[in-house]
Amino acid sequence: MSASAPNNSCKDVAPLLVFYACGECNEQERGLVEQHLALCASCKAQLEDELEFESALRSLPETSQQLDPSGILLGRCRSELAEQLDDLEHPRGKEVGGLGWLRRWMGLHPMWSAATLVLFGLVAGAQITQWFTGRNDANGVDAMSVRPSGPRLTEDQLSKMAVAGVNFAPSTSNPGVKTVRLQLSAEQPVELSGSLDDSNVRSVLTYVVKNGQRFDSGVRLDCLDALKTLAEDDQVREALLEAARKDENPAVRLKALEALRVSAADAEVRETLLAALEHDSNPGVRVEAVNLLVHSIGAQDDTLVVTDPGDFSGLPSRKAVRGSGGALDDDSMQNVIRALEEMQHKDPSRYVRMRSAAALREISARNEQ
Amino acid sequence: MAAVTSTAAVDERVLVEQAQAGNRAAFEELVRRYDRDVLRLALNMMKRTEDARDVYQEAFLKVYRNLHRFRFECSFYTWLYRIVTNVCLDHLRRRQARPEDQAPELRTTQHDEVATDFFERQREHRATLDPERHLLGQEIKAKLALAMERLSPRERIVFEMKHYQGLKLRAIGDALGTSEETVKNSLFRATRKLRSELGVLR
Repeated sequence: MSASAPNNSCKDVAPLLVFYACGECNEQERGLVEQHLALCASCKAQLEDELEFESALRSLPETSQQLDPSGILLGRCRSELAEQLDDLEHPRGKEVGGLGWLRRWMGLHPMWSAATLVLFGLVAGAQITQWFTGRNDANGVDAMSVRPSGPRLTEDQLSKMAVAGVNFAPSTSNPGVKTVRLQLSAEQPVELSGSLDDSNVRSVLTYVVKNGQRFDSGVRLDCLDALKTLAEDDQVREALLEAARKDENPAVRLKALEALRVSAADAEVRETLLAALEHDSNPGVRVEAVNLLVHSIGAQDDTLVVTDPGDFSGLPSRKAVRGSGGALDDDSMQNVIRALEEMQHKDPSRYVRMRSAAALREISARNEQ
Repeated sequence: MAAVTSTAAVDERVLVEQAQAGNRAAFEELVRRYDRDVLRLALNMMKRTEDARDVYQEAFLKVYRNLHRFRFECSFYTWLYRIVTNVCLDHLRRRQARPEDQAPELRTTQHDEVATDFFERQREHRATLDPERHLLGQEIKAKLALAMERLSPRERIVFEMKHYQGLKLRAIGDALGTSEETVKNSLFRATRKLRSELGVLR
């Protein structure tokens, strides 16, 4: 114990210093430590060491950053999990395509199987390399090396690319603007970085969303995340509609619908919402469609008031209205009501039935106002 | 700000309820909210991509199978972390039972060059130019990784959650299903052991 220690001893204070250094002391402990430190040089030196240790830890590269710097592992984990969940939901039955005999044969003859696979790999590798070389020579396509202000990507380049990762970071020059970084591999890996206004960034993101079958669902979801603020752009909206209608993964369809919220009053978007409500296989997507249809009617009311307040009768369902993106009329409204009426009885999911009934009540209450 | 938080909490409750009702899209949305943090913890704890992948899969499959048991008595995040930390601890315990299986992926070859005085090395570290600084960082990291291997699984997870996930001791206690006091003891022991291994205990 230090000779100059006052009421509290080094024995009491020293064990608290670890927690003091990482901000985990309560008020009483903090008072005790600070009072003691003012007079005890030895504990003060120990605290400096603790603080230095903390700061050294923070300055060291983090293991997760070293092992997965580009986030590729995360995408892989997500797709593996999706596959496992698929297996849980739809256990695989008999071997498809009659390949069971091959699996059994390979189990019984491991050495021959390995040799056959190696030979097959060599032949396939040689053929594919030749094919790629041939294509490059024929098309004269240079290795894609894109920078934010680089040449516009061609459809051909887009159709050949694979996306390994999508990351967001605040722009260094303007912290309010997000920079999107895309790790692509076409003929060779390349990183494309730029704001959402960059035409190449936007082309890649919309291409991925629109051509979902070619990309991992984790990548598709990340691209949707990036595009969700741009749903009013025609090119983006078209891609979102495509994903909402056709993507095989319900999480992607759900996210595409969510992104379309801002233009829910658009005629084409509403058609997609109706199609999702009536035909989507996933109840979560159908519930989101109900929510957005109700929202679209709210958005339509707002448009009515702003567009022509003098002519507003208070009954939007009887009026022809022009929404932000297209014509919404009596028929469109009636279609929504008809679909919801049908779904409140017919939908196999109880939750969707309840949500449809609640939506009808909301619409009718709004009409009565 | 409070309104934002409470809206987020309501959204999350709806998502969890939908997932409990069998809505796969809602479940996947929950996964995406937290899986970056989960993978980060798994990578930091396991130090190997293959093991971290196993932890990720096992943890989320457990969450999927047991979601119907979740009764909103704590936040979903806390409940999820309880599962993830248990899976991590199981894997670490299994690994410790197999001594041949303990080498971390990140080990470098320059252990002998690591100075015995950690702080002296740190001071040099800050004063040197970038390439050397990087190398020194790698050396200290390698030594720290070895020292971490010598902690008990519980000490290690507490240390990781505090320093890399930035969680408060109370939250760590909730996740591990133990008291804040117990977590404090683990963190204290972990810090002492690490500093002692790095040759800095005074």
